[in-house]
Amino acid sequence: MPEIFGTNKPEKIDEIRQLEKSGKYKSIFGSFVVEPNRTRFESQDDDEIIVILGRRHFVTNLKWIATACLAFFVPMFWGEFPMIKMLDANTSFILSVVWYSALLFYVIQNFLLWFYNVYIVTNERLVDVDFFGLLYKNINVTQIGRVEDVNYSQRGIFSSFFNYGDVVVQTASEQRSDDKSEKSAFAFQSVADPDLVVKIISELMEENQLSRR
Amino acid sequence: METILNTQISISLIVGIMAKILMVMILVMSLVMLRQTTLMDKVIKLPVGGSIKTFIWSFFGLLLLLTVIVVLA
Repeated sequence: MPEIFGTNKPEKIDEIRQLEKSGKYKSIFGSFVVEPNRTRFESQDDDEIIVILGRRHFVTNLKWIATACLAFFVPMFWGEFPMIKMLDANTSFILSVVWYSALLFYVIQNFLLWFYNVYIVTNERLVDVDFFGLLYKNINVTQIGRVEDVNYSQRGIFSSFFNYGDVVVQTASEQRSDDKSEKSAFAFQSVADPDLVVKIISELMEENQLSRR
Repeated sequence: METILNTQISISLIVGIMAKILMVMILVMSLVMLRQTTLMDKVIKLPVGGSIKTFIWSFFGLLLLLTVIVVLA
């Protein structure tokens, strides 16, 4: 029997099929996750499929990880400072507790900001979720059909070595991101495999144009 | 060591009070972080979101315990 009112399930693009076959890009802690399982976002439609979930490359975390590692050893040496030498044992202990509590807070906060600052590419839309600090969030959403241009740039030794870069998506909208350093409302900064991201968005754009005709 | 209004003021006392204030401030910030994590999890529902929330709650519990110990010390 011909299917007149079919389920109209969107077909996967070639690039996604290949990436799924490779078996990589599945870890939810990764910087580039293809079709993540049990993942949803706030305004997701029922028939909308998350194609990519991405975040900044893990290497970009090295700065705060190195700072935290260095800070971990500071209380072991601060007895050498004459000012701290003058404190009694009780106060010195309290100071160490405060130091390590603050350090743990710093590590967790940085991890959360990395983990939840994501960009999402679905078969219909692009979503850029930016959290600045603990008290401010900025979420940009655009339809794939409204994307005009997509490109990426890699600068520096680190980005070339670890293959990450900035993906800039130009849309018909003139809205800018609250982050002034971003070139567009849809600038995915320091994302892993920017070439793949651009390729997938381009294919989705093509597919969208074909379906309109 | 100085004596003001029959109270002996030492460096340990000043640093101790400042450390206690700092500890309370970290506790308040961790409460903000807890709330923010719940909001982040609402925006993007990830499979490990529940575990992360549990971890943040544990951190807040630990910090609350430490704050009580530090303030009473």
